[in-house]
Amino acid sequence: MSIIQDFNGFSPTWCPGCGNWAIGVAIKSALVQLNFNPSQVMAVFGVGCSGNMNDFLNAYAVHSLHGRAIPTAIGMKIANHKLPVIVVAGDGDCYGEGGNHLIHACRGNHDITVIVHDNRVYGLTTGQAAPTAAKGFKSKSTPFGMIEKPLNPLMIAIGQGATFVAQTFAGDPGHMIEIIKAGIRHKGFSLINVLQPCVTFNKIYGYQYYLERIYKLQPDYKPEDKGAALKKATEADEEKFPLGIIYQAQSPSFHEQLSRLKEDRPLLQKEPFQAFDLLLKEFI
Amino acid sequence: MSKFLWKIGGEAGFGIMTTGLNFSKVASRSGYQILDYVEYPSLIRGGHNAYEVTVADEPVNSLSSTIDYLVCLNKETFERNKKKLIPASIVVYDQSSFTIEENCIRVNLPINDILKESKGQIIMANTIALGASLALLDGDQTILNGLLKEEFGKKGNEIVRFNQQFAEKGFDYIKNNYPQFIKPVLHKKNNEEKLVMTGNEAFSLGAVAADCRFYAAYPMTPASSVLTDLAAWQERTGMVVRHAEDEIAVINSAIGASFAGVRSAVGTSGGGFALMTETVSLAGITETSLVIFIAQRPGPATGMPTWTEQGDLLFSVHAGHGEFPKIVLAPGDHEEMFELTLKAFDLADIYQTPVIILSDMLLSESHRTLSKVKIECLIKAYQANRGKLINHAEGKYLRYKLSNDGISERLVPGAEGQFYQANSYEHLEDGHTTEESLRRREQVDKRNAKIKTYLANHFQPPKVYGDLEKAQTVFVSWGSTKGVISDILDGSTSLIHFNHVYPLDERKIRPLFKPGKRYVLVENNSQGQFGKLLRQETGIEVGEKILKYDGRPIGREEIIKRL
Repeated sequence: MSIIQDFNGFSPTWCPGCGNWAIGVAIKSALVQLNFNPSQVMAVFGVGCSGNMNDFLNAYAVHSLHGRAIPTAIGMKIANHKLPVIVVAGDGDCYGEGGNHLIHACRGNHDITVIVHDNRVYGLTTGQAAPTAAKGFKSKSTPFGMIEKPLNPLMIAIGQGATFVAQTFAGDPGHMIEIIKAGIRHKGFSLINVLQPCVTFNKIYGYQYYLERIYKLQPDYKPEDKGAALKKATEADEEKFPLGIIYQAQSPSFHEQLSRLKEDRPLLQKEPFQAFDLLLKEFI
Repeated sequence: MSKFLWKIGGEAGFGIMTTGLNFSKVASRSGYQILDYVEYPSLIRGGHNAYEVTVADEPVNSLSSTIDYLVCLNKETFERNKKKLIPASIVVYDQSSFTIEENCIRVNLPINDILKESKGQIIMANTIALGASLALLDGDQTILNGLLKEEFGKKGNEIVRFNQQFAEKGFDYIKNNYPQFIKPVLHKKNNEEKLVMTGNEAFSLGAVAADCRFYAAYPMTPASSVLTDLAAWQERTGMVVRHAEDEIAVINSAIGASFAGVRSAVGTSGGGFALMTETVSLAGITETSLVIFIAQRPGPATGMPTWTEQGDLLFSVHAGHGEFPKIVLAPGDHEEMFELTLKAFDLADIYQTPVIILSDMLLSESHRTLSKVKIECLIKAYQANRGKLINHAEGKYLRYKLSNDGISERLVPGAEGQFYQANSYEHLEDGHTTEESLRRREQVDKRNAKIKTYLANHFQPPKVYGDLEKAQTVFVSWGSTKGVISDILDGSTSLIHFNHVYPLDERKIRPLFKPGKRYVLVENNSQGQFGKLLRQETGIEVGEKILKYDGRPIGREEIIKRL
């Protein structure tokens, strides 16, 4: 049995009131409640305020490059599929710089849990617009307002084959814990979009903004209905934010479809290949 | 004739590549040594393909510059190659398709008639030509029939026989009509079994033998065949081979797999490597083992995808922002490719840093004869050295613990009671981020110390070919130019050849550069990149340069002429 303190690394350096605090606690709580200790978890962090969790969360971890956490996690899972792999990334990180990786990780249904801190702004570089910022959003990099429309991560993930797509809110720790636990338990690619206020660089999308616009999915909502899920995902256009598991499907994950990994042993522990005669025959 | 060159050419998409390889294999199975070379444009149909094979009793180091047997499946083959013909050259072609006037021995092979008569498809023209070629060389038709059986066996006996008859018809036509031109240069000899392998295949086999378990790549000529070969073998070898969405995903997934404890490699050419460089730097600071295979082609940008150049040496050496240790190896031939691949995986594990293997199109795509026994011995003798990789740690484990040799113990993730992070940021010994002045210097010094350790323990000084003491002219080269230069050495010339190209140890190199001799740099690029690197790392300057950068490998006569 682990306790939450086992996962505590350095004291966080996030701004007071930042949503990252609650997300950090929720991740640790979810891991404890799932009976993991820090030696049994692999994690990858992107670069940004969210990625700085690398120093605050104990695990076998890679603090990766900006945008590249997902492919790193994919390699880790293939090498040792016995351990859960979680990715902690930001919106600019995962939806901007690493957007291509997100799309293809969904397609591959890699069994990793991607937790995106979506505060619609670049915090660590002191306030430029993120891909999820609304059209017209004024920031240091868009002083006359954002021209592009916001990226819709839920839509992309559902559309591209992710088998677990959820949304939660940094102001609701209980909900976050349940969603993160469900995401880690899910066999296949999980995207968890966490709506998160940046109290320092984004005065528009604060706690109040979200509290007025979020709502929890009803118990009779059916996450296996892809059409309904896509419809839910479009509600962001009207600034409505459903919380919960928007979409979930059962489908074999990438590593489960690799015949080399069919037996229980991870790639890491397999016996080395010996039958070189067979390979050499091709060259005679 | 102890050595001859046979060449076949025709329209792209008509089986030239398969035919050429079959010729190489027939020669090898008949007891001869080969080196071959392909010319093809970066398109699938409509261009011109050519395949040449130099055959000899002895190991073949370089391609011949004149053609002894030219098989022209179209006129273009003749036009492109007529300058390489001599009066004794034999040109095989179908007079009903086109005519030639040049001063050479002309052999008419009625390909069109044979095809019509036996209801063959145009793609079988090359099989007729191959049979005819074997007849001219007094080769053994049964060996070719055996190869065709291996090639078409899956489609059933009827298809095998159907294809074999075209080879036989070409063979018989020459026997009956041109007996006066038949020379016993490919007459079957008793011999030990040999392998016919490209540099890419030697790397792939080496990666399997080194117990590489994860290979990721995005297709890019001329490295693609590593991906496709390893992918084809993966059910047997157990390696996970992944064609990812882009080169950035490729290298980052390999970093992830390596972090998790399995030997990992990636492969690409210059353009793909350009996309990977940020992560090369990540491997440097996180101290993650990784083997990077680069098959060079002429750049910049898309350049000339299917041709050869040594233009990415300095790029490889300097790839990645920031300062960190990196090892670059450049095999001189196929056997060195196999040996250095085994070594590269060890070095990556020992030094916990990226190791680059630099090949080029010439080495990557040319086949060469290799001793099967030798390769088997190397595989048998190989014991993976994983350096300071550990599975358990007692007490407080420090991933980046300071040490004199610069190398810390690397714990395989999953070990009970421990955890750590491989950190992209500058870090403390335990992996946590730091910006403190002293800690920063300690970690930079620790990483840099690996260079000194490598130079002391694993750097191999260049090999000298010929008699350096007696030589008046000494060639200096690296990578795939080894073969062609070793073929022109005589009593007055010798070669200093580097395959451990970075970092370099001046103390082990300087003694080879003696006053009073003429040193000449030979490189397949336009700026003499190795010359620059040598001067930068050792202060040694090689004044004279013979450089070639038209996408073609440098030839023996070119070197002699420009000397």
